Amino acid sequence: MTAVTITIPQLETERLIMRAPGPQDFDVFADFYVSDRAKFVGGPLDREGSWRMLAMEIGHWHMAGFGRWIVTPKAGDKAGATAGIVGLFAPEGWPEPEIGWDLYQGFEGKGYATEAAIAARAYAYDVLCWPTAISLVKPGNDASARVCERLGCTREEDYDHPRHGTVQVWRHPAPDTLVNGGMEAYA
Amino acid sequence: MASRSIPVIETKRLILRGPEPEDYPNFKSTFTSYRARFMGGPLNDYETWMLYAAEIGHWQIRGYGMWMIHDRVTDKPLGMAGGWKPAKWPEAELAWIIWPDTAGHGYALEATHAVRSHLYRNKGWETAVSYVDPKNLDSIRLAERLGAVRDKDARTVDGHDIVYRHPVPDVLFGSQIEHGIEMEIANYADPLFKPKGMPID
Repeated sequence: MTAVTITIPQLETERLIMRAPGPQDFDVFADFYVSDRAKFVGGPLDREGSWRMLAMEIGHWHMAGFGRWIVTPKAGDKAGATAGIVGLFAPEGWPEPEIGWDLYQGFEGKGYATEAAIAARAYAYDVLCWPTAISLVKPGNDASARVCERLGCTREEDYDHPRHGTVQVWRHPAPDTLVNGGMEAYA
Repeated sequence: MASRSIPVIETKRLILRGPEPEDYPNFKSTFTSYRARFMGGPLNDYETWMLYAAEIGHWQIRGYGMWMIHDRVTDKPLGMAGGWKPAKWPEAELAWIIWPDTAGHGYALEATHAVRSHLYRNKGWETAVSYVDPKNLDSIRLAERLGAVRDKDARTVDGHDIVYRHPVPDVLFGSQIEHGIEMEIANYADPLFKPKGMPID
């Protein structure tokens, strides 16, 4: 039997494991997408729409050769929990390949988005050799804009997306301007 | 590291493989067109890409999904067939779609017949339905050629579709339905072969 294989690497940061999304993440993923918290990332959706989004996140890896990882704490009472989804995103119609992050209920305010985005950016620059990267933020999503600032991004002209409307474009520092290339972030 | 293998299925004229990035243009042409009206379309470029990626992710989540149908000789992509069960689907569905320029050659029949047998024999499916738009006469006809019958008691996806139930494995395998399907496929494959009594219309 010949076969097609989808391969998704695993990354590790100081506090987090970043692994492939899978069926075990659906309940948390859907709880996020049906909630008002998803209003900045294309939601709220119904459970059907959420299911298709999760399937899309997985298929994205096969289509693009990269995608987003489920972020899960390494230690503590929430070790192994589905805490968010962070990584590299570039569906058709996206202005440029993006570094994106969503954190689920109870995992905000710990710096997880920043920590995981640094690892994702290092992967994009060092493994995929991206020359540059952006992050998109819906107006009003101040928490996400602050993550962009912590990552050293600078605002550029807004982008109008047919589905998401006006979004802020934040440009990440180029690979050669990052102090140690970010390699240590996922070593 | 996470990975999932998608088996390859071969039939008389076709080879069925998992959906690949290089097969996307044909999917996009169909789903951004009026031909997708019975399948939630037409979609814009972004939605179409997201749906195609979801077709691939479906394999990872369910362990089955939609295969890309290719011509065995030329490798040309002809459409898709397989198992489909997003969150809202009451039961696992056998689904098919043929790209517009390849319709009318019995490819959907041949591919769906093969994937149904595979899902019954190798994936333990004990029954299967197809959710069809009542205006989609080509699909209703194909469901009937596959031996499926209208199941008025089965739950629909959203009330706008009708449910066809496929013959269960014990009824299908070795039956006259199966032989009829194979004869019809043989007739498509070799037009010189015309069974006696074939209606002329």
